[in-house]
Amino acid sequence: MLSSKFLKTASALLLSGALLLSGCGGGGDTAAPSKDGGAKAANSSNKVLNIGIKADPPSLDPAQSTSLYDRYVQNSLYDKLFDVNEKGEIVPMLATSYEVSPDGLKYTLKIKEGVTFHDGTKLDAEAVKFNLDRYRGEGSKRKGELKFITDVKAVDPATVELVLEKPFTPLISTLTDRSGMMVSPEAAKKAGDDFRNSPVGTGPFTFVEQVKGDHVTLKKNENYWNGEVKLNEVNFKVFTNQSAGVQNLRSGALDILDEVPVKEIPGLEKDPNFEVISAANYGYQGIHLNMSTAPFDNKYLRQAFDRAIDRETVVKVLFDGYSSPANSPFSPGHLVYGDSDKSEKPDAAVIKDLLAKGGKPDGFSFTMQISTSPANEQFGAVLQNMLKEHNIDMKLEKVEYGTMLDNSEKGTYQAMQLGWSGRVDPDQNIYDFNVTGAPNNKSRYSNPEVDRLINEARSEQDNTKRKALYDQVMEILHDEVPYTYIFHNYDRFGVSKKVKGFTYVPDGIIRTANLDKE
Amino acid sequence: MMFVVKRLLLTIPILILVSIMTFSLIHMIPGDPARVILGQEATPEAYEALRAELGLDKPIVTQYFTWLGNVVQGDLGMSITDRVPVADLILQRLPATIELTIGTFIFALIIAIPTGILAAVRRNTWIDYTASFTALGGMSIPNFWLALMAIIYFSVENQWLPSSGYVPFSEDPKANLMAMLLPCMVTGLRESAMLMRMLRSSLVEVVHMDFVRTAKAKGLNEVRMVLGHALRNALIPVVTTSGLMIAGLLGGLVITESIFSIPGFGRLIVESVFKRDYVTVQGAILVSAVLVVVVNLLVDLLYAVIDPRIKAGKGAEG
Repeated sequence: MLSSKFLKTASALLLSGALLLSGCGGGGDTAAPSKDGGAKAANSSNKVLNIGIKADPPSLDPAQSTSLYDRYVQNSLYDKLFDVNEKGEIVPMLATSYEVSPDGLKYTLKIKEGVTFHDGTKLDAEAVKFNLDRYRGEGSKRKGELKFITDVKAVDPATVELVLEKPFTPLISTLTDRSGMMVSPEAAKKAGDDFRNSPVGTGPFTFVEQVKGDHVTLKKNENYWNGEVKLNEVNFKVFTNQSAGVQNLRSGALDILDEVPVKEIPGLEKDPNFEVISAANYGYQGIHLNMSTAPFDNKYLRQAFDRAIDRETVVKVLFDGYSSPANSPFSPGHLVYGDSDKSEKPDAAVIKDLLAKGGKPDGFSFTMQISTSPANEQFGAVLQNMLKEHNIDMKLEKVEYGTMLDNSEKGTYQAMQLGWSGRVDPDQNIYDFNVTGAPNNKSRYSNPEVDRLINEARSEQDNTKRKALYDQVMEILHDEVPYTYIFHNYDRFGVSKKVKGFTYVPDGIIRTANLDKE
Repeated sequence: MMFVVKRLLLTIPILILVSIMTFSLIHMIPGDPARVILGQEATPEAYEALRAELGLDKPIVTQYFTWLGNVVQGDLGMSITDRVPVADLILQRLPATIELTIGTFIFALIIAIPTGILAAVRRNTWIDYTASFTALGGMSIPNFWLALMAIIYFSVENQWLPSSGYVPFSEDPKANLMAMLLPCMVTGLRESAMLMRMLRSSLVEVVHMDFVRTAKAKGLNEVRMVLGHALRNALIPVVTTSGLMIAGLLGGLVITESIFSIPGFGRLIVESVFKRDYVTVQGAILVSAVLVVVVNLLVDLLYAVIDPRIKAGKGAEG
């Protein structure tokens, strides 16, 4: 006989299973998932937009933020002093205009009047001063971007004056990003360190909640200064697996996905309900060559390596055309972009000659560190095969991102695949990577002429002159090859046709203020 | 009762050992949190300042004892990257994973018990072979693939179930169950394979024992004989396997959690390791160790329920 205890346990288990099955299975027909994203059903007047993002935003406080995913959410919460439009031009936002003194040392900003923060406090020159001083202060991650500002003065309620230590042309462009985001001084003072978890801005949406690792929910700012906001709610949902993200887009649980895997693009484009919006952003990918150690302390071997890479093929094989070949840190979206970005097909004779000049006529071998992801593994393998043709033997060492940053800092590597997400101003794509001793100069490159030219370009206001200076820099960099530029990243947004008003801005950030949903 | 108290006391040295191991392991991985937090934008000053702020500039032994001192007082510390109490993060993530584990287990049982019995009773027939073949398939198919296929079929092609959208049970029970059904089904299917194989082989073994032969000789039909006599004796190894399975699932549902976008405990651990969020990793592993100990304790207690000859604490061999 079965003991009654056992019977009870077994039947309880089975019963609860059956209950779960019948309870949910039965509901399946009546409560089919709402097109507005699974759980939070929405009626017709309640427009909810769900955006899938690849990682969790760690800090919504612009002063503490270092992640791209923060910027996605922040752009809906905060307005900035300036913005970038779809052509990559800088346009007014909370600052209506600005003037630069002839010596480039004084910027006068006019601040928009009548704008209030989500907590009801007023945006004025004092608030702008508070923000910029906060970003320049101890412990702020924005300190580096604003380091040339020596003083911020609130001249009158609508005028702010920025005093610079030396001319710094990229200043206005940094104010189109986190350094230009205006947070409520009252709220920031009150929340202190916790402001990252309770953000208050002037943006089109106000903060509701963040469940770490899952989602951030924002709701419509009813008093938005820049026109009526059409959506009632925006959810940023974390989808670490992008293939699952695509299926959620198709099931209607998401309206926008931030990064559609290349292999999923053809399928999505065939579907009349979706479109893939893809364009070059400001970033680039390539390889750091450590000039402080063999083999890349040898210029000819760096050149041989650089010339052996067929960028067209990389782009075609890995991205099916959803990226473009690069030979400079400047993207098509940058005003200084031009011929310096062109590359040539590898020429076996030239490479052989370079190897001979470098003292390695029979080729050489080295190890490249690359971060772990299936896409990177492919990338590494493609490069490996290209180089093998020219007797260059590249070994791959898969290293996790955190470790890679550590190794780059210590210089314990020969070659390292690490790109840059890119910034609006060209200076921010070249300065820190190539100037002697700059924080991102992982190749340990030093050339006084390059330092001089990049510094001059940094204080030059005229774009034509700046371009000429960068062209000169690129000529030297192409000869000395501290870094091999390989391709420009494309953003690949998957967007449901129900979403109206989506415009691509080359900084790769979604602007939700004008979005609508059918 | 004494047994339970003794077992619980025994967990203290285990937990201390686990914490020391976690602490040394995570500090042994190259890469440090300050660097990961600051990313490529780090200046040397910002890096040093952040290290000091996080207390990472102190000797590692000091760091350990500071942490341990706080844990003893019930404070798991603040997450390095998120700046919220680790206890809050864990409490936020644990319910989803516990629910997923229970759901998975229920599905696994629903599938494994009937098929396991059927395969054992009709051993070496096409039923047995089909069941074994399916089980082998279930164990071999990568979980992420099965999960994606399930999403495509149940959510994209037919809009029967949501493809994501976890909501806590307390907030909206119906939406919660709807969202959890698909992930529980997918992992349940995989986990059932092991249980089914286990149940089949232990049933086959029991069926050959004397008391079963006697029952058979007395004219009991095979199904009644299996359900009435053999099953209970065959359950011991199944319960052991279930215990291990549940303990494994509590921290090991990372793939399911990431594909179905469930804010679970497994993902918390993995993400924290990548971010080098030492404090969160330590706290989460500690909680995880406690869970494993508790599950094992329950399994031991369950042995006694299944077979009264076994005294709790004497183990399954008794």
